[in-house]
Amino acid sequence: MQVTLKILRFDPAKDKKPHWETYQVEAEPWDRVLDLLHKVKWYQDGSLAFRRSCGHGICGSDAMLINGRNRLACKTLVKDLGSVITVEPIRGLPVEKDLIVDMEPFFAAYRAVKPYLINDEPPPQRERLQSPEERARFDQGTKCILCASCTTSCPVFWVNGTYIGPAAIVQAHRFIFDSRDRGKRERFKALASGSGVWRCRTAYNCTEACPREIPVTQLIEEVKREILFDHF
Amino acid sequence: MYRGREGQWAFYLHRISGIGILVFLILHVLNIASAMWGPEVSNAFMKFYHQPVFQLGLLVLIAGVLYHGFNGLRIILMDFTAWGVRYQRQLWYAVWVLFVVFYLPFLLKIGGGILGGSHGD
Ligand code: HEM
Ligand code: SF4
Ligand code: FES
Repeated sequence: MQVTLKILRFDPAKDKKPHWETYQVEAEPWDRVLDLLHKVKWYQDGSLAFRRSCGHGICGSDAMLINGRNRLACKTLVKDLGSVITVEPIRGLPVEKDLIVDMEPFFAAYRAVKPYLINDEPPPQRERLQSPEERARFDQGTKCILCASCTTSCPVFWVNGTYIGPAAIVQAHRFIFDSRDRGKRERFKALASGSGVWRCRTAYNCTEACPREIPVTQLIEEVKREILFDHF
Repeated sequence: MYRGREGQWAFYLHRISGIGILVFLILHVLNIASAMWGPEVSNAFMKFYHQPVFQLGLLVLIAGVLYHGFNGLRIILMDFTAWGVRYQRQLWYAVWVLFVVFYLPFLLKIGGGILGGSHGD
């Protein structure tokens, strides 16, 4: 089938603002959007810039705004989109070139929640044991691949880039609800601040955007309640 | 426009209606406070707000209050129950059912008044 692929392009060396470019691409229905981008880059216009690494939905480097929704280019099939496909960079982060954005503010928010086990009690002889139920409590957050689909789908984040964003809260949830962790209060410094969880207005774009099917809003609400009832 | 689903529109409408009600509240307080400058000023305000277009405004205001109130209850359920988030979409449709049920009487009374040429007095 013939696909009309519209890409929002921006070259900092010569453009003042982004502009649309249209490409005609021959595609199979089971091709992925990532395949189309490759066809453009390899056979039509080598200057097209985008990120990708694994090509299999696990590295999280190719989140893009495809037909109006955030998705991974490597996990989105042409047959689910139709013959006109638009691709834009994810919103709310500075565009560096074409589909490549500066991820640093996103990772700064990630670091702010201290995404590692905090426990300064003396280590036991062997592992820090955990029951299957305790392990299941934070399972959903462990599936996050830090693709930024959620954070850059959030209307609050588009308007206020200092909002820590859903991805960082999902990562915080993964440790806050880990029975081995003791760092809850430290994480709350970032999460309960003015740019933390209280910015969330439950618009659910994050939950719908997550390619890992993490119930993002659910986890954010659980963190909100954990902060709210912390001192009771 | 980002192609969000129910949750996104619920949020946009909640904010627009919230700000709308706030604007009304400010105008309303100013209107009442105008009595401080004597009956002439106060009556002038009253006359101004008795123009037919403000009957339409009243319908919009009531719609805003009803949506904001019912969706506010939806948000409270999502914030404070374990299941609210899972049923947020159904809850939003319930908001619209309640909205229609409570809005109809106002629509008939005030809307009928507008069509019949009354100014709501
Ligand atoms: C019927 C009673 C009301 C209920 C149940 C209610 C409920 C709520 C709730 C739960 C929120 C939080 C929204 C969120 O966290 O996403 C909210 C926000 C808000 N409310 Fe109300 N409210 C009511 C009346 C009012 C009134 C009378 C005004 C105006 C004077 C108002 C103005 C606002 C504004 C401006 C916001 C902020 C909107 C936002 O952040 O998006 N509300 N309301
Ligand atoms: S929560 Fe989902 S959408 Fe957000 S960064 Fe992780 S994998 Fe991506
Ligand atoms: S290229 Fe790795 S997630 Fe898509």
